[in-house]
Formats: sequence, C-alpha cells, structure tokens
Amino acid sequence: RRRIRVLLVEDEEIHRVVARAVLRAAGVEADEAENGAEAVRRVRERVGGAGAGAYDLILTDKQMPIMDGHEATRQIRAMGVTTTIVAVSSDSLPSDVQAFIAAGADDFTPKVHAGPSNPPDQSCFTPE
Amino acid sequence: MAAPMLNQPNSLLANMFAAGLLDDQFQELQMLQEGSAPDFIVKVVTLFCEDGERIIGEIAKLLDKPCVDYDKVGGFVRQLKGSSASIGALRVKNSCIQFHQCCQEKSKDGCVNSLDSVRNDFYDLCSMFKLHASAGPAGAGLPKQ
Repeated sequence: RRRIRVLLVEDEEIHRVVARAVLRAAGVEADEAENGAEAVRRVRERVGGAGAGAYDLILTDKQMPIMDGHEATRQIRAMGVTTTIVAVSSDSLPSDVQAFIAAGADDFTPKVHAGPSNPPDQSCFTPE
Repeated sequence: MAAPMLNQPNSLLANMFAAGLLDDQFQELQMLQEGSAPDFIVKVVTLFCEDGERIIGEIAKLLDKPCVDYDKVGGFVRQLKGSSASIGALRVKNSCIQFHQCCQEKSKDGCVNSLDSVRNDFYDLCSMFKLHASAGPAGAGLPKQ
C-alpha cells in the first residue's frame, strides 16, 4: 500500500507541531512549508521532470507571510495540479470558505480541532 | 494529615479543567502524546507560553502609541486566539474573542481592558503549567521553571 504524500502549509510553529502529531497519529508523515510561496515551490518540484510525483493532499492555512493560502492555491491550480487542497483556518466565516473554494480549494475545515478522538477526515482524497 | 491535593499533578490539571482554564482540546493533545514524541506536550506548552508572551508584549507596544493600528493589534490577537485554541487554553481563547471585538470597534479603552484580561488569563495558565511541572515526578511532561 503506497504511502500518502501530504504537504502541510502553515507559518506558525505551534500549529505545525500539533498538525504533525495529528497526522502522525493517522499514520501520515507530511512535508512542510512555512508559507504559500514555499508550498508552490515544493509542488512545482514534485511535478517537475525529476520530481517524485504530485502530493495526494495539501493542507493549507490562510494567513501566512510572503504568500497567503488563497494565492498559493490559485498558483498551484494554475500549474494544472489537481491534488486535493483542504484549507485549514481558524477564520471560518462563509466568506472565508467561499474565498478558498473560489481560489480552487476542494474543501475547508476549521483549525479547531482534530485529535485522536476526532481524526482528520481522509475521505476527501484518494491516493493513486 | 494527607498530602495537600495541590501536590498531586493530576489534581492540578483537574483543577485547571474545572476552573475553565483548559478545555477538551488539551485532552486531545495528551492523547496525541501517547502515540507521539514523549516531549510533545512540553514542546507545545513551551511554544504557547513563549509565543504568547511575545505577542502580548507586541500588543502592549501597539496600544501605547498615540495612534493605534487596530488591524495590527487584531492580527496579533487572532494569532494568540489561534494558538490558545490549539492548546485548549479556553479562558485565554475567550478573552481573545472579546479582545478581537474591541479591535473591530476600534475602542482603545476596550482594547486596553481586554489586554489586561488576556494577560491575566495567560499568566494564570502558564503559571499553573509551571506549577504542574514542578509538582510531579515527570510533571506529566510539562516544562519546569
């Protein structure tokens, strides 16, 4: 069974540490990017000629320095990448959700809060 | 005479839950530690307390200025709200929600009062974490003073 390839995009270390532990509890080791620009670069590298293939899932925060989650999502989609992108943000007004979906995200989940008794829903993506 | 309850780490944590300082999210983190790195809780609590102290300091500086940038203040409050929600710091999170409201209303007095509430709740919590770490043999993996 192939390992799921996940990219976690989050600027704040505390959220990365928690997300890393949640993903590990679900049997997933993720690559990490601290802002949208780094996420775009990592995605581009993976789909490039010498890349290891597209990610199965990208989890992205909204507000980040250099490039935010909306713009990163737009740029990833503009590359033709169809990887499932799930926005994870503490800003969960309908307008926030709509903005992400309009940028090309597949789903949105509030940042609060997954854990062992409430694991992240993996049904939204299917690895090849 | 029985040892004071406060010397028992589990009682301290139970008190923190009962006092509304912590919510279910902290229990989720404790469950994650069981399967994750043994210093997971230490790392998360340390990050929260260090980041929170820095953020509160930045907010105080911004509110000290004659012309307050409420967007910047709101940004820092949002950041602290997010990290307090991640760790299960219920009272700090709720104080941040109130604070954010004052930022949106551009109320300086409201923001100053809210900063006091956030600061008190934050330092109450971090002090309790340190006390818990000092009380037990392993301190349930919490950072020591």
